[in-house]
Amino acid sequence: MSYKKQNQIEITEQEHGFLGQFNAMASPCDCLVETDNLQQAKSIIELVANEAWRIEQKYSRYQDNNICYAINNSNGSRVAIDPETFGLLQFAQQCYDISDGMFDLTSGVLRRVWSFKPNASFPSREKVEQLLPLIGWNKIKFDKDSLILQPEMEIDFGGIGKEYAVDKAAQLVIEQFPDISVLINFGGDLRVTHAPVKRPYWQVGVDSQLAQLEKSIRLSIGAICTSGDTERYLIHNGKRYGHILNPTTGYPIKNAPHTVTVIADHCLQAGLLATLAMLHGPKAESFLSDQSVKFYCQR
Amino acid sequence: MQLVNQSKRMSKKAKNVSTAIAAASCALLGSSAQAEGDFWDFSKDWKFDTGFLYYGETDRVSAVEGVFSATHEPEFNDKFNFKVVLDSLTGASPSGAIAQPNSQTFTRPSGNGQYTAEAGEIPLDDTFRDTRLQMNAQWTKPAWENVTSSYGVHFSKEYDYLSLALNGSLAWDLNQKNSTFSAGLSYASDTYEPVGGIPDPLSSMVIDLGQFPTDQDFQDAFDATRIDSSDDRQTTDILLGWTQVINRSTIMQFNYSYSNVSGYLNDPFKVISLVDNGGIATDHIYENRPDSRTKHSFYWQTKHHFDESIMDVSVRYFTDDWGIKSQTVEYKHLFYIGDSSFIEPQFRYYSQTAADFYQPYLLDSAAVPEFASADIRLGEFTGVTLGLKYGWKTNAGNEMALRLSYYKQSAKDVLDSHPGVLNDLEIYPDMDAVFLQYTYSF
Amino acid sequence: MKLTKLKPLRVSIFWVLGVSVLTGCSSLGVEPWERDLLAKPEMALVSDPIEAGLDDHIYFSKEATSGGRSFAGGGCGCN
Repeated sequence: MSYKKQNQIEITEQEHGFLGQFNAMASPCDCLVETDNLQQAKSIIELVANEAWRIEQKYSRYQDNNICYAINNSNGSRVAIDPETFGLLQFAQQCYDISDGMFDLTSGVLRRVWSFKPNASFPSREKVEQLLPLIGWNKIKFDKDSLILQPEMEIDFGGIGKEYAVDKAAQLVIEQFPDISVLINFGGDLRVTHAPVKRPYWQVGVDSQLAQLEKSIRLSIGAICTSGDTERYLIHNGKRYGHILNPTTGYPIKNAPHTVTVIADHCLQAGLLATLAMLHGPKAESFLSDQSVKFYCQR
Repeated sequence: MQLVNQSKRMSKKAKNVSTAIAAASCALLGSSAQAEGDFWDFSKDWKFDTGFLYYGETDRVSAVEGVFSATHEPEFNDKFNFKVVLDSLTGASPSGAIAQPNSQTFTRPSGNGQYTAEAGEIPLDDTFRDTRLQMNAQWTKPAWENVTSSYGVHFSKEYDYLSLALNGSLAWDLNQKNSTFSAGLSYASDTYEPVGGIPDPLSSMVIDLGQFPTDQDFQDAFDATRIDSSDDRQTTDILLGWTQVINRSTIMQFNYSYSNVSGYLNDPFKVISLVDNGGIATDHIYENRPDSRTKHSFYWQTKHHFDESIMDVSVRYFTDDWGIKSQTVEYKHLFYIGDSSFIEPQFRYYSQTAADFYQPYLLDSAAVPEFASADIRLGEFTGVTLGLKYGWKTNAGNEMALRLSYYKQSAKDVLDSHPGVLNDLEIYPDMDAVFLQYTYSF
Repeated sequence: MKLTKLKPLRVSIFWVLGVSVLTGCSSLGVEPWERDLLAKPEMALVSDPIEAGLDDHIYFSKEATSGGRSFAGGGCGCN
């Protein structure tokens, strides 16, 4: 309930509408609205920003007043959950099942030993193995009203939070402004709610060092998500280790692409496929080829 | 290595992954289409507010009141609210008669039975007992651009009282909704049907002190003071409001309200005593008030959000053509405690002057005025309320609050001197009350 | 009647009101994205409608004044 931080939006006029910029979930966020009407643009941008902040407030693990904190500090006791959280848990469960345990929201505990900052040290095998008993989505018990998490275990919604926030914000826009083309970008997870009217597509610049990847992707409707380690990696004994960790071994996935970009209908789909592709390591491309989605891998 | 095994296993069913993920994300996001018949789906867009109040005056009236309110708000500014209030009142209330050095006997308003006041005690009519059911429905909808309309119906029924009302208002949003101007109209029609009928104003209360040979003689004398079985009143209200956002943390409201009531405005249960030069009561006559009243009130409210608290101040100035002027100051300050609870001290000060025709008693040596009432609520007094509210959120996100308040009324003497025995007696009934309130929203 | 007694209070109330209005006039209003605080339910002018309704009923039946915040109304035989 209490007011914690200053949420600000900057709005500027663009060639085909208005651009709102704000910070949420530790990322710069954009909301591009194709309209001539400033009031309408403001309403839409506000709607999107408020949804981002709402979800951040609710699921961020950097805050000590939300459901995420309540779960992670429950020390084995039963925690009441709301329908939205139940939905996310179910989704995480399905992802865990689909990926045979490779996508696991409880793997965040590995952050205690792994740091992907420059000059970070490579953890000892002993330290990594100590953490493995604390990982495993199947150790969580939940129903629609409550959840029990083993002591010391953690759930990190970060793996799906940004994608979920983009899709939820897009959903609000589609419900309230069904005819307006709005591009929502939360730190690289991007979605267009409706095909633009005054042009055939939005040009989406993707931050990449790829030569073969076009400088920009053309998107009229749908979602683009990128998973990668262009900035977050570790050099140990001359070998490069990306930040995608295998929850079953506790070590970074070997031979994973630097970045994987996937285009799909929803951010949740695109984001998850990109993450799963990374988890496939050397077989990322063949995994994605089997999916009927457009993708780009950078090695 | 385990990783390789995992990868192999995954690849086997890789073709299903995309569809499975699409299905899972659609399930999580739900359908965006609003299906018909959502109005009756209480899991969607409905909010319920409930409240319970215990109100108790020392040695007088006590009441319990329950409120249930349901609000359907599928979209911003598109709202339907339905509210039911049930309250039950029991206890004793000042009849308006004056205290005397000896005990006194009075006839109950119904004509059936008597009540007594001990020597030196302010007479209390102990037959106060009523149950009231109130129902309101209010619709709020966008009317046209930047204008919101709201209209509602009101129904309230007591054993002896019926009230029906309609209201409608429009609100204009200006200057990016930083200013809102509103205008509203309300009309109410009330019918009073007291047990024992409507007493003839200024007629003497018939009291059976043994002077009637038969019960029928008393009944005939009592019936002679009754002029009708029921009467009614009409109320027209106009409310003009201006709400202004001052800055990011301050909002202000100004209201002017006009109210005209006409018809039967007496309290059929209230009397006023006639006393002689020694202060001894010689008669008790039914009160009489004018049959119309025009009221004006000016209301100003400001809310300000500090870093960790919210201040709510309001001031009201009121005047009417009965000669009553009043001012009300209310101050509430909500302090957040952690993230899911708050504490709110509340203070209210109220002060009113007496109606022109208010008298605690009349002198029987003077002519009886056209209008007279000894109802303390039309007298001069101040009222102070101190309250403390504690609110918290449950794990499921529902809100609860508990409030304890103390309300004290202190009457002021409107006369310079009193005859004889009245100098040693309590003339104005003071009152203190405690109320305990519990609210729960889900 | 002792009307004179109340005058000092009335003056002081309007003095407070006047000052608040003057200090508020310099830059009234906010941009839509500055509504984070005002949008909180606790900042609604009537943040607890149930409590407001109960208070209105108590004071309506115990005092000669009604209305101001909302319609003065009729609605019960208590006054």
